[in-house]
Amino acid sequence: MTRAIRLLCCATVLAALPVASARAQNPFDRLRQIANVARTLLPISTEKEIEIGRDIAATIAGRFPVSTDAPLTRYVNLVGLTVASQAPRPDITYRFAVLETPVVNAYAAPGGYIFITRGALGLIQSEAELAGVLAHEVGHVNRRHVIEQIRKSDTMREVRNTVDLQGAVMDHVVGAGTGMLFTGLSRGDELEADSLGLEYASGAGYDPGGLAAFVGRLDQHAGEGPVSEFFATHPKPNERVERLQAIAQREGLAGGVALEDRYRANVMK
Amino acid sequence: MSRLPSLARLAGALALLAAAAPRPAAAQLAQWTDVVYVPGFWSAGRIVARPDSLALVMRVDYFASPPRWRAEVRRTADGLTFGTPDILMGSGAAGLVVTPLGTTPLEQHALGRDPLVRAVVVFDAGGRRTGPAAGQITDRGAGGAITRVVYRRAVRNPSFDTAMLDPGNRAGGSTLLASGITRVGDQRSASVVATAGARGVDRVKTPGGDVPVTPDPAAILRMERFAVGAVALEAFMRAGALGPYAVPDSTGRHS
Repeated sequence: MTRAIRLLCCATVLAALPVASARAQNPFDRLRQIANVARTLLPISTEKEIEIGRDIAATIAGRFPVSTDAPLTRYVNLVGLTVASQAPRPDITYRFAVLETPVVNAYAAPGGYIFITRGALGLIQSEAELAGVLAHEVGHVNRRHVIEQIRKSDTMREVRNTVDLQGAVMDHVVGAGTGMLFTGLSRGDELEADSLGLEYASGAGYDPGGLAAFVGRLDQHAGEGPVSEFFATHPKPNERVERLQAIAQREGLAGGVALEDRYRANVMK
Repeated sequence: MSRLPSLARLAGALALLAAAAPRPAAAQLAQWTDVVYVPGFWSAGRIVARPDSLALVMRVDYFASPPRWRAEVRRTADGLTFGTPDILMGSGAAGLVVTPLGTTPLEQHALGRDPLVRAVVVFDAGGRRTGPAAGQITDRGAGGAITRVVYRRAVRNPSFDTAMLDPGNRAGGSTLLASGITRVGDQRSASVVATAGARGVDRVKTPGGDVPVTPDPAAILRMERFAVGAVALEAFMRAGALGPYAVPDSTGRHS
């Protein structure tokens, strides 16, 4: 398998050679371009993904404190694991925690470290909405969105192989990864996570309208401080709601439970 | 350059050949989970019979590519935690118990004397699942008393390595469904823990500009140590009519 990957890398680099030579006369530019092509092919193992994710999670926890409310953390984990069980990655463990901040947002660090803020929990009105939000984050983890962004980023310029991912290089990678989470992933990644979130939450038996209901409610709070970061880091709420509703209709997703009372009993204590 | 048209023709021919080839076995994959209950409730490590309550006794994760199949049976001895899985594999209706030392036909193995384990073999001679694809299945004994209730949930798009259906491959690909759930609360090795926080990210980008941070690896260690057991998750889903508990029973009624 490793040999096959090496062969693939070599073939791609060789294929890039004529393109590089056509665009750049300077041999150093050519080498840089070839290195860039090779860099985007460097695989990041699950083990390394978890290591990066763990440090990103610690950095997130350095900005917003992680709640020590054990009953609340347990509840959020149970909801998160319920949706994650719809399409678990066998190579990682999903963990969920609450961040003590009025900022409304949720974050998915690589390797299965998922956070939701107290501010978001305050706006959510049912377990189906919470499930939708957490399922969206599980989608980011399952598709390795942050890791893929890191892999293609300039922070990997110094990385020839994953052994190099340590020390100061790892600092850069972790800093860049955390920055991606705080400033927003690509629109495509967000919309893909929406689709997956809808699929996971609905598959688990939740009302498929949960995520759309939450996103739609955020629109009513536009301009308020705690939600400003969410607006800055995600596609427009009305666009997301329309898209989510269209997917649910196309896939025939309906029914499911909302569990407002259970949510209130566990979160609005 | 002159070779390009012929290369394109060759690529087209290969694509046509690929399209005409028989569909891969992946289309026949099936994967589902049975959660098995018996009448009663757990008390001090044993089930006390009671007709109006159900006690969780096992969870079975199935992986099948007819006629071959694999069942990972996790039993609970206290209603609180699942044990390590017993692996059954088979071809058609015959089941084998797979151990690190080899395989034994189920009927010759101690597990074969347990009617709950024998009931795990839900395949016909062709290795196809018998019974409904999903829903609540209620077994009744003589006199109509409930003997077993199974909540079945199918995976919509199964994708597993069929090598795990090879009896020589006991561990390969195992615990696909349960990993990430039963492992919640596992602690990482001391060496990994020791390195956490040694790195120096002190500022991160936010939409409002760079902000200072002090990474908190201890919080992540607490997060990793926070345990939610698989049995607790089953109880949570059952209470909320979620997962396998969200579907109608074999008679069409909802639980």
